[in-house]
Amino acid sequence: MTSADPVLLLGEQRLRAGARARRRVVSPVIWLAFAVMAGVLLMALFGALLAPQSPSAQHLAIVDAPPSGAHWLGTDALGRDVLSRVIAGARTAFFGPLVIAAASFVLGNLLGLLAGYRGGLADAVIMRWVDFMWSLPSLVILVVVAGTVGSSYWLAVAVLIVLTVPFDTRVIRGATLEQVPRPYVEAAKTLGVPRWKIMLFHIWPNVSPVAVANTCLVFAGSLVTLAGLEFLGLGLPPGIPDWGLMLSQNEALLFTNPLATIAPGAMIVLTAIAMNLIGDWLYELLTSRGAGR
Amino acid sequence: MIPESLPAATHDPSAAPVLQTEGLRIDRVRPDRRDTIVTAIDLTLDPGETIGIVGESGSGKSMTARAIMGLLPRGLVAGGTVRYQDRNLLDLTEREWQAMRGSEIGLILQDPFTMLNPLMACGKIISESLLREPRLSRDARRAEVVRRLAEVGIRDASVAGRYPFQLSGGMRQRVGIAAALARDPRVLIADEPTTALDVTTQRDVLALIKSIQAARGMSLILITHDLRVAFAVCDRVYVLYAGSLIEMGSSAELDAEPLHPYSLGLLLSEPSAERRTGGLVAIPGSVPAPDEVAGSCTFAPRCNWAAPACTQDSPRLAEVAPGRLSACVRLPEIRAEMAALRRRGEQDDRPVAAAQPAETPLIKVQDARKVFRNGRRTVTALDGVSIEVGEHESVGIVGESGSGKTTLARILVGLERATGGQISVGGIPATNWASLSERDRRRLRSTIQIVFQDPYSSLNPMRSIGSILREAIAIGAPDMPDRGAEVGNLLRSVGLPADYARRKPVALSGGERQRVAIARVLAARPRVLVCDEPVSALDMSVQAQILNLLISLRAERGLGYLFITHDLSIVRQLTERLYVMHSGRVVESGPTEDVLSSPRDPYTAALLRSVPRPEPEWLAASK
Repeated sequence: MTSADPVLLLGEQRLRAGARARRRVVSPVIWLAFAVMAGVLLMALFGALLAPQSPSAQHLAIVDAPPSGAHWLGTDALGRDVLSRVIAGARTAFFGPLVIAAASFVLGNLLGLLAGYRGGLADAVIMRWVDFMWSLPSLVILVVVAGTVGSSYWLAVAVLIVLTVPFDTRVIRGATLEQVPRPYVEAAKTLGVPRWKIMLFHIWPNVSPVAVANTCLVFAGSLVTLAGLEFLGLGLPPGIPDWGLMLSQNEALLFTNPLATIAPGAMIVLTAIAMNLIGDWLYELLTSRGAGR
Repeated sequence: MIPESLPAATHDPSAAPVLQTEGLRIDRVRPDRRDTIVTAIDLTLDPGETIGIVGESGSGKSMTARAIMGLLPRGLVAGGTVRYQDRNLLDLTEREWQAMRGSEIGLILQDPFTMLNPLMACGKIISESLLREPRLSRDARRAEVVRRLAEVGIRDASVAGRYPFQLSGGMRQRVGIAAALARDPRVLIADEPTTALDVTTQRDVLALIKSIQAARGMSLILITHDLRVAFAVCDRVYVLYAGSLIEMGSSAELDAEPLHPYSLGLLLSEPSAERRTGGLVAIPGSVPAPDEVAGSCTFAPRCNWAAPACTQDSPRLAEVAPGRLSACVRLPEIRAEMAALRRRGEQDDRPVAAAQPAETPLIKVQDARKVFRNGRRTVTALDGVSIEVGEHESVGIVGESGSGKTTLARILVGLERATGGQISVGGIPATNWASLSERDRRRLRSTIQIVFQDPYSSLNPMRSIGSILREAIAIGAPDMPDRGAEVGNLLRSVGLPADYARRKPVALSGGERQRVAIARVLAARPRVLVCDEPVSALDMSVQAQILNLLISLRAERGLGYLFITHDLSIVRQLTERLYVMHSGRVVESGPTEDVLSSPRDPYTAALLRSVPRPEPEWLAASK
């Protein structure tokens, strides 16, 4: 055939250029976002051990206290330590959205791939269901379900999963439709690769940047939605430490101990932003793995 | 507007050049580094002259044109000078440029499908481009638009009221030309004006550009990847390679005796449409990025004559004969050798294997029909096509876009389903793949496989070459004991080192990717390979490598081929029998040599005439 040397030489140079692109610097903002998420994860796993005091111990002598050496973020109306409650509250703020994101990731990707790749009847049925779900007012559904079955945190999580899956399905279907006419898919078809393998091992890796970034968005979105539900009293019973619940319970303390509302609110915002930033970063990372130059 | 014969070129070489670039360089500036796009481009363009800038993808030819027009994309900066009427165009502000573009220098782009605003009627596009002063009345303006359309050969005035999507590609390109000429520029830059067009339309559009240029005494810069087109249209040709000019000469002289190994290689690697030659001479390797070959002759890594002297400094163009510039430092030593090689390539004819009519055809298509339905609109892609391909036979299907040739290929490999007709492949009825048993489908796949046109998208970008090939082996040869070893064998059989298995497609050049795509279908051990435009997405200097690979694979493995292409030269070099398709029908068929040397159907004759030739009659005889 051809003399291999120049071919090899040029290929080698291209490979090195690729390695250079992969080793690009991670910006400090992303490091910060990861630090925030790592902190929230630690608090969610070991909240009770990390908290300086018991989050539910009441000190009725020092209610509504502003920050002090003993209570860094002050106390709430029942004299509970706000800092300890913020730390313990990470549990419901983290695991609920995690379950929602994971469940809608699996279901949304499967349904989206199926609708986009198979087309025809499967597509029609799945997408009409998606349209139907989109037409439902989600907050009203939650209120109605909580009102009839009785409010519970995991029920809210389950309802949010049902409401999020159609959203994911639509996004993944769109990304799949973009891949289906590509020659690499047709090449796999003509080789005789089974359809489920084409979907999972050929198309999905190319959809994965969108899928992963979207899941980060879902996590951040459901964190905020769950906090909103807790704020409205549609979820956890009052005693449990939770950021959304703290926002509503401590609203009355705004003038005596403003940190009792600001701290949980700030945690919600920080965590949501950090997750969105990580989602963007993962998207870039995954895209550059394949098609990037 | 196209005259029967072209007036002689009106340019006067003694006049001062109308446009001149000196040391033009373009860099892409990134926060962490600078990438060179072109280095030190010196061009001169005389009044009324046509020059060509010829180069492959990545040579920097389009960016050179954009720099001259002040239209470089964000992040690219130009240095040096572009002199036009005693002004350095690179110093102009955006406001000054507006007075310059269109009125002094016009531009035609490659893609007539995206160049025109889809929401504007053609008349509006042209009238918008007309000079604002003097103010014309609405009627006068409309009359002017009709006159401009007539100039580009559109005599149907109703075209002014139509939208771009209602026109064919050739018509769109004509409207684009009319818009580019609306302010009567003195210099016209045409960037690959016919690459997106069909071959028969290409000649009409080139002839049109040439005749308008002659009529107006305009200067023309033609940017193209096709040396043949450049020779047919241009007075002088500049050859650009990896961001550097490597040769300049008049079309006739450059064609007769290229004075740089790269130009010679390009001419040698080009398959001839005229006759069957003895193998193609391929240039090894692929086009590097300018920075990879900085400080040395850009072509040295691929040059057969490379010596230590070639890599010590980056050579500039130097006068080697009157009117001839070359950047080859070894030219005096190797000139005779190069000329001998060129002569040998021209004499070396290959005897044509007699086309034997197949007794039991491997592929038999009878009266195939395919109708696409889109809402209420129906498009007939195949209108009763019958073809046969025998075992070990190489057959060509030639046609332009819309002829149905690709639809036929897709039906053969089961990607589309024929609306009617009978198809059998290797004795298995393959009209409807969905109704076959899995066993029959597997047998079909080990009989017929397809190589796609675009190697950049036919490999999954997220998977390594090794995993792509291992999967093909697992399906095509499930009882293969050592798949890892077979991956290496497959890679070696297509001329790639076995360690390429670890790489991702993104680390491979276009030619290397097409080799991998061929290795992948070989894993299924097919008896016949459908090649759908297998080299048209590749650089010129790489095309011959892939064609040679296909030729040698045929000899080694006894493969049969069905070549689907618009390119008559590929068919001439690689096939024994030929079908010519037009509008969903086979208009002519027979042994390749017979059909191409004495075509019976007028369409075949038109296709043959559309192959670029340097003689002036080629353009003059259009229409």
